[in-house]
Amino acid sequence: MSAWAPLALTSLTAALLALPVTPALFELWKRADAAPLPTSRHDGRIGNFAEVFRSRLHPLLPQLEQCRNQRELSRVSMEGMEVLLVGRDDFDFDPRLTEGISAVMLSEAALIPPGYVVEADVYTGIGLDLGECAALRAALCEGDIILGENSAVLRWLHADGSIFLRRGSNAYGRLSAGRSIRLEPECGFERMSAPQITTVDTDQRDDSPPQRDVRELQPADVCDRFASSRPRLRIQGNFVLPAGETLNANVIATGELRLAAGARLFGSAKSYKDTVIDEDACVHGSIVSGETARLGPRCFVAGPLMAESNVLIARGSRVGGPDALTTISSDGVRIAAGCHLHGTVWARVRGSVEA
Amino acid sequence: MLLVLFRLTLFLICIYTVRHYWFTLNRLFGRQRHPYVDLENAAWPAVTVLIAAHNEEAVVTDILKALMEVDYPREQLTIVPVNDRSTDRTREIIDAFVEEHPFVEPFHRVSGKPGKAAALKDAMELVKTEIVLIFDADYIPGKALIRQLVAPFFDPEIGAVMGRVVPLNVGKKSLTRLLDLERSGGYQVDQQARMNLRLVPQYGGTVAGVRKSALDEIGGWNEDALAEDTDLTYRLLCAGWKTVYENRAECYEEVPERWPVRVRQIKRWAKGHNQAMARYIGDTAKCSELGRWERIDGMLLLGVYVMGPVLLLGWLLAVVLFYNGAQIGGGLTVLALGAFTTLGNFAAFFEIAAAARLDGSRQRIRLLPLTLFGFIVSLISVSQAAWQQAEESLFGTKELVWDKTERSRVAPVLEDPLPAFEESV
Repeated sequence: MSAWAPLALTSLTAALLALPVTPALFELWKRADAAPLPTSRHDGRIGNFAEVFRSRLHPLLPQLEQCRNQRELSRVSMEGMEVLLVGRDDFDFDPRLTEGISAVMLSEAALIPPGYVVEADVYTGIGLDLGECAALRAALCEGDIILGENSAVLRWLHADGSIFLRRGSNAYGRLSAGRSIRLEPECGFERMSAPQITTVDTDQRDDSPPQRDVRELQPADVCDRFASSRPRLRIQGNFVLPAGETLNANVIATGELRLAAGARLFGSAKSYKDTVIDEDACVHGSIVSGETARLGPRCFVAGPLMAESNVLIARGSRVGGPDALTTISSDGVRIAAGCHLHGTVWARVRGSVEA
Repeated sequence: MLLVLFRLTLFLICIYTVRHYWFTLNRLFGRQRHPYVDLENAAWPAVTVLIAAHNEEAVVTDILKALMEVDYPREQLTIVPVNDRSTDRTREIIDAFVEEHPFVEPFHRVSGKPGKAAALKDAMELVKTEIVLIFDADYIPGKALIRQLVAPFFDPEIGAVMGRVVPLNVGKKSLTRLLDLERSGGYQVDQQARMNLRLVPQYGGTVAGVRKSALDEIGGWNEDALAEDTDLTYRLLCAGWKTVYENRAECYEEVPERWPVRVRQIKRWAKGHNQAMARYIGDTAKCSELGRWERIDGMLLLGVYVMGPVLLLGWLLAVVLFYNGAQIGGGLTVLALGAFTTLGNFAAFFEIAAAARLDGSRQRIRLLPLTLFGFIVSLISVSQAAWQQAEESLFGTKELVWDKTERSRVAPVLEDPLPAFEESV
């Protein structure tokens, strides 16, 4: 046997043993992925996309003003974005003009004709009207926005004023408004945020306030839900607060939790299964449901309202208040017409408005 | 007799192995629960942030500066640095900061029992709010962290909240890189899986919050607890309060950069955890407030640090039985497999791999084989700690000391931007 044989065997064995750790040693040496994991540093607000977009386009406002004075179109490149500046009020989003454009900035109101698909993000300082069956990627408007019937927004939409979604329109992604959002039946949404969110019937298209069939928010409705003096009731199984009764406690039920008609709970409610709030009942605190939360007609919930499956809200209900914004969060959210919500509605899968 | 003991050891190891597989598969393919993460608008309650600081001159400025930037209503936020008998410049630094920011209310503790729990107990006398958040001084909270940690308290059943810890000094040493992987496995997979499965996420004592009325109900902080976090988790659990984990409430921390510091840290954790096990495993088994799986997981979680000596015992028994001709079948193989999947500070290797994937870090996963060294060090340290504890319980208890983790940071880091996700339009 050759004298090299033991050496070769030893070398081969050492190489085989080293093989699994070779990538590790290589990574230790190269330090290709040695930075701290990035953490989420933004505040998670729905309007953040719009704010980022606004700040990116802000330097172009003087040029936009110039275009407006000269009633012309101008194409500029900025940070890898092709931006079309529109200083005319007759711009019709002709696909030949918007081809290869990342963003369109308009000094006048934007009117997107019915059936058009606009792939660029839109900024307008005045107003935006999306025609029937039209589709838009994203838009920021310093005035009001109207989405025509069966239209769609694919990524995000923000209005400093109000947004009105007409029947059958869909807002995928984020929808936020500085003043209010109004939705007609058959509208779809995912995340939306505004001080006032109302669902209206199709015949309420004018600017008159929706039918006032919900009672006004009373001072007691915004009670301190973190008062440490409030007792805690923990019930194994189902819990029912009988009709017309009032309870001052935080209630936790390991089964279903129900507030019968007209009952009032001063405190928060948690159930492992469904939470059912019957008509005219009030929860002056939060609701946390392990499955579905159902609000009957004319209910009031101070909020937040969180359910792990679905939230169903019947006509005339109110969640939160204009001065006490709150959050509704669930996989699915179904809201009947005639409801008033204040703050954020977050449907992780899909939200819809029903007649 | 030895064979029976060996089989019992094997049984325990298999249980923990199955548990880790279950958690990892759940995290990869199961339904993920983040029920409180979407809370954007709410009537945010008044909150007190306690910063536990014992000789933290190198790091305390960073956390105070970071807390000035958080997105939480200022009038609802009270910041209390708890300077616990520091002998370095911690007091001076805090006082200088307070001069510039008068709404920070320092608590200088100059005497009393040693230990974080004792310091927090004294500091609680100043707390007037229902929600209390706790940070160690070497942590750097992000802008939205306070809101993320407070959000679960709108659920009336929640007594405590735990956020995710992310190492900041990853690239410094080989050890820090291994600990980064371990932390990922422990939080990204283990804690989140327990949250998904409605089991027992653990309150970790920092990047965490507690409801004051719940704390009062269970008698406040336990000064005698070596691990006040585990102690609190189980006392809350047995009193019908839940602890939840918020995976997206991320906060940077500094991990040990030297092996002796790491060994002292894990020994302290092991002793505290074992003490909690001795105190609460019976209560957990009997607790009527808990569901079946919650109870089982609670007991298994209490036993994680005992699995170190159990594993060593299993190896020893396997060798002894093997050379005595006993029929142990494939036990040695099972033990070898179990070894990798049982300990490592909760982060078994497949949990680490899954965590690296979920975190989107593609290259650091290559370090996985090296976690074997960390695992062996942990195994020996944890077993030593258990042995010392057994000795102390037999021959008398040593005085409780705050065995603080040595800091490697020598200057504030907030001058440099920290790595962050930006929202993209």
